[in-house]
Amino acid sequence: MSVEYPPFIYPEEIKPLILETDDILFSDGTRVTPEDIWHFMTVTGPKRFPFAFSTNPAFGHQLSRDVTLISGIRRNYLGMTGIDRLRKFVRNGTPLILIQGGITSDIYQAAGCISVGPMFLRGWIMSSQEGRAYKNANLTGASILEEARQNLTFECCNLIANVALLKTHDLPIAGIAPCLCSRCSDMAYAVEAYRSESDKIPTVLIDYPTNHEDAIWRTEYLKQGLHSLVNQLEKITGNEVTDDDLREEIIIQNTARSLVRECEQIWWSGKVPPTNSIDGGFAHLGMMGAFDFPVANQVLKETRDELHSRVKDGVKGYGLVDDPARLFICGSCVMPNPNFVDTKGGVLVGSDDVWSSICMDIKESGDPYENLATAYASLPYERSTEERAKWTIEQVKASRSDGVVFMYNWGCNYQSAIAGMITDIIKEDTGLPAITIEVGELTRMESLEQSHNRIESFIEMLR
Amino acid sequence: MTLSTLEKIRNAVKQRPGILESEKNNGKIVVGWFGYFIPEEIIHALGMIPVRLGRGGDERLVELGARYISSQNCAFIRASMGMFADDSDPYLRNADVVAFDNACMQIFRLGEVSKYYFKKKTLFIGVPRNPYSIASQTYFRNEFENFTRNLELLAHKKLDPLDLADSVDLFQNIRDVTKEIVQSLLVSNFPLSWKEVTEVIHAGYYLDKRNYLSLLQELLREIESSTKSTAQKPQEIRIILSGSVVAPGDHKIVDLIEQMKGTIVRDDLWSGLNPSLQMHIEHPSVSSIADAYLSRIPHYTLPCIEKDDDFRFEHLKSTVLETRAQGVIYHTIRYCDSATFKTTGLKNRLRNVGIPMLEIHTEYSDSDVEAIRTRVEAFFEILKMQNESGVRA
Repeated sequence: MSVEYPPFIYPEEIKPLILETDDILFSDGTRVTPEDIWHFMTVTGPKRFPFAFSTNPAFGHQLSRDVTLISGIRRNYLGMTGIDRLRKFVRNGTPLILIQGGITSDIYQAAGCISVGPMFLRGWIMSSQEGRAYKNANLTGASILEEARQNLTFECCNLIANVALLKTHDLPIAGIAPCLCSRCSDMAYAVEAYRSESDKIPTVLIDYPTNHEDAIWRTEYLKQGLHSLVNQLEKITGNEVTDDDLREEIIIQNTARSLVRECEQIWWSGKVPPTNSIDGGFAHLGMMGAFDFPVANQVLKETRDELHSRVKDGVKGYGLVDDPARLFICGSCVMPNPNFVDTKGGVLVGSDDVWSSICMDIKESGDPYENLATAYASLPYERSTEERAKWTIEQVKASRSDGVVFMYNWGCNYQSAIAGMITDIIKEDTGLPAITIEVGELTRMESLEQSHNRIESFIEMLR
Repeated sequence: MTLSTLEKIRNAVKQRPGILESEKNNGKIVVGWFGYFIPEEIIHALGMIPVRLGRGGDERLVELGARYISSQNCAFIRASMGMFADDSDPYLRNADVVAFDNACMQIFRLGEVSKYYFKKKTLFIGVPRNPYSIASQTYFRNEFENFTRNLELLAHKKLDPLDLADSVDLFQNIRDVTKEIVQSLLVSNFPLSWKEVTEVIHAGYYLDKRNYLSLLQELLREIESSTKSTAQKPQEIRIILSGSVVAPGDHKIVDLIEQMKGTIVRDDLWSGLNPSLQMHIEHPSVSSIADAYLSRIPHYTLPCIEKDDDFRFEHLKSTVLETRAQGVIYHTIRYCDSATFKTTGLKNRLRNVGIPMLEIHTEYSDSDVEAIRTRVEAFFEILKMQNESGVRA
């Protein structure tokens, strides 16, 4: 028996609230009016990306139904139109650089490039055909994933497998420059597998020294790697990158990181959670900047102001139960389905991986390479496991979490290796329940029942 | 025919745990190690006893280890973690400190997790992913210097240059004799199988190094006096074994190959011959040792990102030519990403130069033995047909 889920539609009543907002002015001079945003989210978007408006409960990337959180709708607009901006970058000759790891976009943007993650590769292929409904999008995505795996190995995690698509598709990637060994052991070998058979796309290796002793040579090594990265990016763009370029970009992205931190502190300070779990996921905007950081900063300021006002007024996020179980998520690149968590009486209060990069502040004056290397070397997520656990405990306490979920995707052997250790340390220190959950759903849209069951049981236990 | 020196080596290994324990009781410090970039010369020169750790082939240890580390980690890592939990391995039990390098990121995790749960004193060495840059060389020298300082603290003494020179000579001699013994595998009436040669190499993990060298030299003399012909055996299937670690105790693949009348003429393994190859320490100094370790054939856990610098592939290709091997069996342990991810590319590249390759993806369970036997048998049939027609794939 199949169940039809009606598509989500923004109610007409909120249109005036949208229209009260400011225009968005992109760095290339493109101006988007609130009317444009409303039209996209109610007319163009549903036609081009029907799956994004699906209300299928299994769908982990549903739009939030909190329609009065206007900054949330504007963030959704930025997310959904990201592919259009990327197409424009490609048309205009702006190089797209494939990255991975905890290092931020500062260098890539300063060099006049746009950094994209491995998920982009599949997204680009899928976006070649618009109008996909939920089932179709899911099947197409699964089929592309399978193709990628066959070209690499079935033991690769769902995200990194996408790198294999570079061998079989003409993708607009001008350079591959991931930060190896930070958080992920798969990316290095996926890039190697590509490189062993093709030299079409230049490859840059940035090594992240994982021996965690507090050593000056570790930072120096990272600094040399960043110099090498910039040299390679200069070759790709044909333009010199000055220290001032780097410093300027660091200032812009520090603002983004600082705004996300402000938002998170306001969110955590609320007696009740001011948004649901979907709308609480604003950290990504500070990390990837919707490919245009000044715009991201504008929308993050709007988010901050709205959160502030909600916390002041004691507004609870739409769809949350009273006193929901507060879950802090750690682990690899996968998260529980936020809508499902809310429905079952929980709420996501934070996650460690993107938050780790957001917590990093890069010194703005002086040698930018030194400053970037020092900041990257101190990333909490990349510290020794015992140190990382200590930092996680601080976040768990600051977010007043009721429980911790260490989640990792099948195939992620670097993060999964420490799942038990981190949760044991957290349990011992905080006395809070902590669970490890292995899933296979990263980038997938269906067959998520097993992980849903485990999350639901954990929430029931906490409540 | 079993060589008498091989029996001597076996007896020495049997007696070694007791001797090691008494040496430890007499104040000697035992440094156990996991990985590929731990400088045994420096450990030895400081008067400590280096012992390479890790076992394969034991499902019970795999299960035990998975209680502490993930079931997503490779069988060798889980088994190694199981060794900590089991606490019956005499070498690990007697280790005062355990050193890990992070060439394999799973081994690095093994170090972190075992340190937390089993409270062993632990040292780490960072290994750069790209060994060819000046920055990498500087970083790695610093890691070795730091490792040495930590060892000196444990030993309560400074590294003496003369002792280091002695140790460097000793280990170079061991590598040289090992290479000569392995080279003899190419002789058709060689009195040892690859499995036995590897048993000898693995004995070197545990035995006193000077005693080990003299045993190796004795074995080489015995081999030289017993081998005459260099002609190839008729109907022989000559194989190179490459891929993931084949640790002591892991006999599954090797037994199958030998049962199917295959002859492993050389390995491309870091648990076999590779640590003895292309290692030239110019001066007996910590920096020179670091440079030498970094300049070896690139370890399979270090990704070759620059295609033109893929010396690992070039090494494998030239080994096939040198040994007149008919094919490569590429053995990958489940979840050994560093070996597994390379499979498709390696197979395609070997095919392009006319070298057939079979991947065997497995772990320590016996449940897939017959399936693997069928695949090996089919591979050998193909190689035989090519042999008869004188054509390579």
